[in-house]
Amino acid sequence: MTHSVNRRDFLTGVAGTALAYAIDAPAQTASGPRTNITVRIDRDLAVLDPAARTGPWDGNVIRCIQQRLMKQKPNSSELELDAAADVKQVSPTVIEFRLKPGQMFTDGFGEMTADDVKFSFERIGLPAKDAVATYKNDWLYLTGVEVKSKYEGRIVLSQPRANLFDVVIGDVSGCIVSKKAVEQRGADIATKPVGSGPYQLVSLERQKGATLRRNPAYTGRKPYYEEIAIRFISDARTTDLALRSGELDFAVLSPSTADPLRSVPGLTVNEQPSIAYVWLGMNVEKAPFTDVRVRQAVRLALDVDQMLTAGYNGKAPRLNTLLPPQILGHWREAPVYKRNVAEAKSLLAAAGVSNLKVKLLILNQAAYQNMALVARALLADVGITVEVDSQEGGTYWNSGKGDVGKNIDMFIVRFNGKHDPNFIMQWFVSKQIGEWNWQRWNSPEFDALFAQSAGELDAAKRRQEVVDAQRLMDKSAAFVWLTNEANTLVYRNWMKPAGVPGWIDWQYDDFGATS
Amino acid sequence: MLARGSPRLEEAIRYLGSRLVTTVLIVIGAMLLLFTLTSVVPGDPATTLFGPQATPELSRRFITEMGLDQPLPTRLWRFFANVARGNLGVDVISGRPVAKLIGEVLPYTLILTFSALGLAALIGVPLGIYAATHRGSVLDNILAFTSVAFIAVPSFVIAIFLLLIFATWLDWLPVLGASRTGALGDEFKRMILPTLALALGWIGFIGRLIRTSMLEVMGEPYIRTSRAYGLSQRIVTYKYALKNACIPTITLLGLGIGRLLGNAVLVEIVFARPGLGRLIYNAISERNYPIVQGASLVVVVLFVAVNLIVDLSYSAIDPRIRHDTAKPGAE
Repeated sequence: MTHSVNRRDFLTGVAGTALAYAIDAPAQTASGPRTNITVRIDRDLAVLDPAARTGPWDGNVIRCIQQRLMKQKPNSSELELDAAADVKQVSPTVIEFRLKPGQMFTDGFGEMTADDVKFSFERIGLPAKDAVATYKNDWLYLTGVEVKSKYEGRIVLSQPRANLFDVVIGDVSGCIVSKKAVEQRGADIATKPVGSGPYQLVSLERQKGATLRRNPAYTGRKPYYEEIAIRFISDARTTDLALRSGELDFAVLSPSTADPLRSVPGLTVNEQPSIAYVWLGMNVEKAPFTDVRVRQAVRLALDVDQMLTAGYNGKAPRLNTLLPPQILGHWREAPVYKRNVAEAKSLLAAAGVSNLKVKLLILNQAAYQNMALVARALLADVGITVEVDSQEGGTYWNSGKGDVGKNIDMFIVRFNGKHDPNFIMQWFVSKQIGEWNWQRWNSPEFDALFAQSAGELDAAKRRQEVVDAQRLMDKSAAFVWLTNEANTLVYRNWMKPAGVPGWIDWQYDDFGATS
Repeated sequence: MLARGSPRLEEAIRYLGSRLVTTVLIVIGAMLLLFTLTSVVPGDPATTLFGPQATPELSRRFITEMGLDQPLPTRLWRFFANVARGNLGVDVISGRPVAKLIGEVLPYTLILTFSALGLAALIGVPLGIYAATHRGSVLDNILAFTSVAFIAVPSFVIAIFLLLIFATWLDWLPVLGASRTGALGDEFKRMILPTLALALGWIGFIGRLIRTSMLEVMGEPYIRTSRAYGLSQRIVTYKYALKNACIPTITLLGLGIGRLLGNAVLVEIVFARPGLGRLIYNAISERNYPIVQGASLVVVVLFVAVNLIVDLSYSAIDPRIRHDTAKPGAE
């Protein structure tokens, strides 16, 4: 049989070959253990300088590049030595440290010394007049770092701080940068960081993300993966598809987004309780919420479990007090309020309130919108008409500020937490009215307990003070605690991610593989 | 060639001058509108970005550095004075020049937008010609149906379907729209789906427009005359009819740049691809005004520059347009 090739056949053949080449399958087949992984972040990396970082997404990368005196053990909030050979609290206000010798900064910036530690901590806690230190409050009460020798120094505080190790020394504000590099690179240090940590930055591109490569000079525990690509993907649907297609190896998703991925072969879906906290708050300065009976009525009219089913597909644990169970001072015996329409109505009647119309302020995200709709229906049963006021981020986060905050009726809000009770409690002191205390709740007893527990170094005493503070919050009825949320980790079966419990702080440098 | 001092040269210069003045006024007007909007939008930048970590002093500092405490005319004057010196401002969050941030993402947007437009023209024009020359055929009807369908469906919906089909089910193309390594082959592969998502609606648009224009032109007396002279159908269609039928399409392409840039934001988000639209979108969410202002200026300039080129090009195709502008009331 003969077959002649005409012009049309030829062109079709060429186009077909070109197309076949162009659309060559993207997935790489893993032969043997993988040495590189790709992880997703949902906010763009902005500033990789501990002093000017914008949030946990920056912090997670910074902690890989920079060393701290102490760092968290893998999958734990417990600290272990990192850059320091020794750290000692010699008095409530003095901490002495001794660095390990021979810890080298990348890009030829020399060996880490106590001078670098002094520079790093003081530029955040005691910044120069024209310098930015977004997390200045982390180093509250710092009076200075005294350098005793090349490797030794003392951190001196004006008052004791119970959470100094967990929230500051072991976290991003405790990262040690090279003084010489910061002075030499100026503003560029935000995008060209110099560190001595387990990874070094290979590339950082706006809207794309970053690539980290193992730092051969790091003297600590060697990271498992040679390279980690951190991809900025804002859209949850794209993340889902990228996980399915094999382009992404790890992502943290909301429970409802992660659910469909449970049936995908090769992926593990693992739920972890979070330490973020979500609640419905009431403005105690605005009538009729000035009357505690109205607040109690709202609390009894709501059904938290129903709201959580609507907001999180029932996958988020219920919170009955401010502090989640993982945090020191969690009030285990906190009352679990059950919906009681009759009692709510009688409380409203006793307060002389009828046909109440209120606004419920929320952020325009699905979980809050769903919970707000359920709250509206539940409150309607006791005669409260709710108008849901859904706002985008910029407007929403400014709603409680200054005098504008006086106009709020009720709101649903979510704050990120840390493994420290005082970090979580700080937004409810009276000083925060007009800032982040949107309830405008003013309790001198709470303020006193907060101050006491912040400086209390005895863990048992501190726990009791924190529980007492939560009792006061409960008594005020200004808060309806909803959930501490859940983070759903989705990753390849061969992978073993690591993060500080609560999964706001990820430990890329401790990511590993299943044996 | 036009001789110096000739009336045609003077006319061309006058036309170009009037277009340039209009262009500058459009840019100033757009920026005035943008500055007015930024002054009424609620939310201070530090609070929006840092949440509870934003201290009052940090808020004040960001407001001062962004010039938000200044009256609107002062802000606008400072902005244009800086632009005249080639300075688009500084991102107060990262401390990096806005021009540099724009420079990093602008190529992604330009490549995506012009590839989509090019692809749309490459496929839409022949389809439109075919539909016009085979009016009422089965293929014409199929093209009419699919064109309207693609025009009606938003590009981000098309994007999601393309991802489902080509990236998930068939596993032919990647999900993420930008290469990690920057390798040319990889970048090309990752551009196919975003380009298609953006272009599909425009293929329909251009196809329908060319078809309608061609049918209108084909009925003109000069086409009949050309046929009477015995010119082949191919020459009549491609040399005479298509040239005139292209004028509304060129206008549409110019205006289409603005719409494409708008649609590109959604496509960039779906494919996690860097771009100017996504830069502005994120900056608005964070109330990062120096980036919003600098990047918006670039978009406006891009848009008016393309439209200026379009205006000039079709006044070259149809000289009556130039005459009409130069002599008001002339027929």
